[in-house]
Amino acid sequence: MSKLRSRLVRSLSAGTAFATLTVGLAACGSSSTSTTAASGDAPGGTVTVGALSNGAATQTGITVSEVASIRAELPASVVKSGQLVIGVGALPAGFAPLAYVGSDQRTLTGSEPDLGRLVAAVLGLKPVVNNATWENLFVGIDSGKTDVGFSNITDTEERKKKYEFASYRQDNLAFEVLKSSPWNFNGDYTALADKTVAVGAGTNQEKILLGWQAELQAAGKQLTIKYFPDTNSTYLALSGGKIDAYFGPNPGIAYQVTQDARTSNPVRNAGTFSGAGATLQGLIAATAKKDSGLAKPVADAINYLIENGQYAKWLAAWNLSNEAVSASQVNPPGLPLSNS
Amino acid sequence: MSESLLPAVPPGTTYPPATELPRPPTPAPADAVEGAVDPERAARPVSAQRVLPLRHPGRWITSAIVVVLGAQIAHGLVTNPFYQWARFQYWFVRPVITDGLFITLEVTAYSAVLGLLGGVLLALARLSRSPVLRAISWLYIWLFRSVPLIVVLLFLYNFSALYRTLSLGVPFGAAFLHFDESKLATDLVVAVVGLSLNEAAYAAEVVRAGILSVDQGQHEAAAALGLPRRYQFARIVFPQALRAVIPSYVNQLIGLVKSTSLVFYVSLLDLFGSVQSMGSTYPGDIVPLLLVATVWYVILTSVISVIQFYLERHYSRGALRTLPPTPLQRLRVGLFALRARVRRETAI
Amino acid sequence: MSTQTPNGRPAAVEVRDVHKWYGAHRVLDGIDLTVAAGEVTAVIGPSGSGKSTLLRVINHLEKPEIGHVSLNGELIGVRRHGERLKELSERVILAQRSRIGFVFQNFNLFPHLTVLDNVAAAPVATGLLRKPQAQELAHTLLARVGLADRTGAYPRQLSGGQQQRVAIARALALRPGVILFDEPTSALDPELVGEVLAVIRDLATSGSTLVIVTHEIGFAREVADRIVFIDGGRIVEQGPPDQVLDDPRHPRTREFLSRVL
Repeated sequence: MSKLRSRLVRSLSAGTAFATLTVGLAACGSSSTSTTAASGDAPGGTVTVGALSNGAATQTGITVSEVASIRAELPASVVKSGQLVIGVGALPAGFAPLAYVGSDQRTLTGSEPDLGRLVAAVLGLKPVVNNATWENLFVGIDSGKTDVGFSNITDTEERKKKYEFASYRQDNLAFEVLKSSPWNFNGDYTALADKTVAVGAGTNQEKILLGWQAELQAAGKQLTIKYFPDTNSTYLALSGGKIDAYFGPNPGIAYQVTQDARTSNPVRNAGTFSGAGATLQGLIAATAKKDSGLAKPVADAINYLIENGQYAKWLAAWNLSNEAVSASQVNPPGLPLSNS
Repeated sequence: MSESLLPAVPPGTTYPPATELPRPPTPAPADAVEGAVDPERAARPVSAQRVLPLRHPGRWITSAIVVVLGAQIAHGLVTNPFYQWARFQYWFVRPVITDGLFITLEVTAYSAVLGLLGGVLLALARLSRSPVLRAISWLYIWLFRSVPLIVVLLFLYNFSALYRTLSLGVPFGAAFLHFDESKLATDLVVAVVGLSLNEAAYAAEVVRAGILSVDQGQHEAAAALGLPRRYQFARIVFPQALRAVIPSYVNQLIGLVKSTSLVFYVSLLDLFGSVQSMGSTYPGDIVPLLLVATVWYVILTSVISVIQFYLERHYSRGALRTLPPTPLQRLRVGLFALRARVRRETAI
Repeated sequence: MSTQTPNGRPAAVEVRDVHKWYGAHRVLDGIDLTVAAGEVTAVIGPSGSGKSTLLRVINHLEKPEIGHVSLNGELIGVRRHGERLKELSERVILAQRSRIGFVFQNFNLFPHLTVLDNVAAAPVATGLLRKPQAQELAHTLLARVGLADRTGAYPRQLSGGQQQRVAIARALALRPGVILFDEPTSALDPELVGEVLAVIRDLATSGSTLVIVTHEIGFAREVADRIVFIDGGRIVEQGPPDQVLDDPRHPRTREFLSRVL
C-alpha cells in the first residue's frame, strides 16, 4: 500500500523541489480546515507569523492593510465569497518549517500558510487554510474547492498546462549527515565519490545530483543515489547508516538539526549548495487553477508585501531570508518539461 | 534410563486383568535388569505401575535457547538508546495520539458494522434467485475488490466538489451543497463510507462462504417446517454461518484497523496519521513515535482477539460436544494437574 | 374433491397424475395416490425408484412438472386459475408446509439450538403458539418420545436414535395433518432402529396419518394399513400388507421382495 502511495505521490509531484518531502502533514486530528494560527484572521490589521513553530521561527506580528486596487483585480466569485481558501498539502506528515503541525500538536503552522494569510490580508479576504494530502491539494484546486495553493509547489512547465503561478521564494539546498560523520561539503562534488546519498525523486536537487553522478562516473568513481517516500523514512535510513547523507532543501534540514540535537543519533548540516547552481533557478510559487485570474492579484499582493517590508519580516521570522526573491512573477519560466 | 526402572517383560507374555493377577509375577530375566532394582517395586505387576512419560531433552534445550534469545531481545529493547523509551512514555498518551487512536476506533467500529451489514446484503443478493440481484452483487464485489482503497477515498473526498463543478445547471445540485455543510461530519462520513464500501465487498465473500458452509439439510428442514423466510435466515442459517464467518471476518477487521491509516486521504488523522504528522514536527522522535503506534496496534489486535475467542466459543454451542475451555479455566486445570503431579511425584 | 378411500374416511392427501423430471431423467411418471385420514401408508421400492421424491413433492420441497397434490382438499403450492394451475407465493407455501410434518433420513436438527428449542421454535415462528405454550408443548412431546430428561442438550450430544426422536417431536409440534417419514431409520446404527420405530408405532396406533418411506419391510408389515410399491417412478402395486408382501401380483414386486426379504 505504502509503495503504491509513494509511487502515486511521486508521479503527481514530479518536478517539484523536494516533492517527496511533501507527502502531507496534519492539522489537528479531526478537521481539514485548520484554524489559521493564533490571530490575524480579520481582513487587514495585524497578521501573526511564526506562531507555535517549535523553535523554527520567531513569532512576529506583521501589520498589513487591504489594498483596494489589488483587490479590484480579483475574480468576482472570490470577492463575493469573501474568503481565500489556501491549500496546503501537508497530510499526514508535514515538512517543517514550511508547513507542519505546530508545538501545540494540533495547529497547522509554517512559512507557507503564513504567507498565504499575509496575501489574504492584502486582498481583504478571510484566509481559510485547507490542509489535505498532496494529491487532494491539486484535486482541490482543480475542483475549485481550493483557491490557491501555498505549499512549497515548484513552478514547472508541466504544471503550467493546468495551473497558473505567482512565484514567491527560491530554495537553497544542503547536505544532512550524522553528527558523528567527518564528511563535509564545500561545493566540490568530488567529495561525493563512493558515497550513498538520498534525494527526493523528481526534484531540482535530484537533477543536480544526477549531473554530479555522471561527472564522477566519467572519472571512474561511484555515487549511489537512494530514494525514500518521505522525510521520516529518510531520517530513519540516515540514523541507521543506510545512507551517508541526505541532499535536500536547506530549511527542512536546518529544522531537523535543531530537533535532533537531544537524540542518540543527532544530525548536522554538512554544507549548503545554492539551488541556483543548476542550469535554472527553481522557484516556489503560489498555485491557482489555469485561467482562474488569481495569479495576477496574488503576485501583485506579494509584490506589495515585498515593497512594504512585510515580506522581509516574514522571511526573517522563519529564518529564511537567504531564500528571498526580488519580485513575484506571474508564470515565470519553470523547470522544463524534460525534467519532469 | 527409564527402561531400567521397569522390569523387562519377556516377549509373548500375556497380561491378565489386574484384579486376578497371580502373585508373584513372572520374574524378570537377569540380563534385562540393569542397576539396582527396588525388590518391592520389581515385585509389583507391570500393569499396575504408572507408565513413565517419554522424556524430551531436545525440547528442553530448544526451549532454553529460545528463552535466552527472548531475554536478550527484551534486554536490547529496553536498554538500547535508539528506542528512546522516555520519549515513548511522553508520546504514549499524548492528546494528539489518543485523538488519533479515537478516530481509528471510531472509523473502524462504524466501518466494521456497516461493512458487515453491507456484506450480508450483498451475500444474500449473490445467493438470491434473481439473476439481476446476483449480477449486481457480483459486479459490486468485483469492482470494489479491484479498485484500490486510496482511489475510493480520493474520489469520495472530492465527490461533492467535482459533482458541483460538473453539474452546473443540473437542478439537483442543491442537495450536494448541503452535503459538505459540516466539514467535520463530512470527513468522518466520507472515511466511513469509503471504508464500508470497500469492506462490504470483502465481507460479502466471507459471509457467502459462511452461508454456503451451512448444510443443505438445514435449509430443507427450515423450509419443511414452514418457518418464515426471514426467520429461516436470521435464526437458523445465519447463526450457523457465523461460526465460519467469525474467524475470517476478524481477520478482515484487523486489516481494517490498519487500513484506517489511509483516512488521511480524506483529511482525517487516525493513530498512524498522527504519528506521521508528529514525526515530521519532531523528527528526533520518529522511532519512539513508531513504537507508540505499534504498541497501540498490538493492544487493539489483542482486544479484538480476545473478543473473537469468546464470540467463537458462543457460536460453537451445539457444533462441538463440549466447548473448549477459556484460558482462565485452562489455567486452573493446569494448576490442579501440576499440584496433583507434584503430590504424586513426592509420594513415590 | 372427494375420492373413495380404502378405509372409507375422507382423503387426507391426494396425489394426482404427478410427473417430475430432471432433464431427461423421469423421476416420477404419473403417480396417483390417495391417503385417507388416519391411514398409515408405507412406501417401498428399490433405490432411485422415486419414493423420496414423491414425499418431497407432497410437501412441495420439489415442484411437480405436471399434476398436483392436495391436503384435506386444499391444493399444495398452487391455486386454480381458470383451467390452469398457478404457483402460490413462498409465504403461502411455507404456511401450507407447516401443516405437513416431515422427518428426514439425516434428522436435520438445528445444531445450534437446544433440543427444547428445536421443538419449540417452529410453533412460535409460524405464529401457532406463544413461547411459553410452545415450550410446554415441547416438554410434553419430548416426554412422549422418551426424552424428557434431555431437553437442555444440544443435538450433537445425542445418539442418532435420540436425534431422530427429537426430529419426530419437532414435526409433531406443528400439529400436522399428515407426517411424512423419509427413510427415518436408514442413517441409524442397527441397535438404535428399534427406539425410533417404537415412536412411529405409537403414532400409528394413535390414529395419525402417516406416509412412511422405508426399507424396514417387517416394520411396514406391522404398522401399515397399506403398502405402496414404487418402481421406475410409477406405482406398480398397492394394497394391504399381507396381500402385497405375501402374494404380490406383479413380477417386479416379487423380484424386489425376494431381494430384500
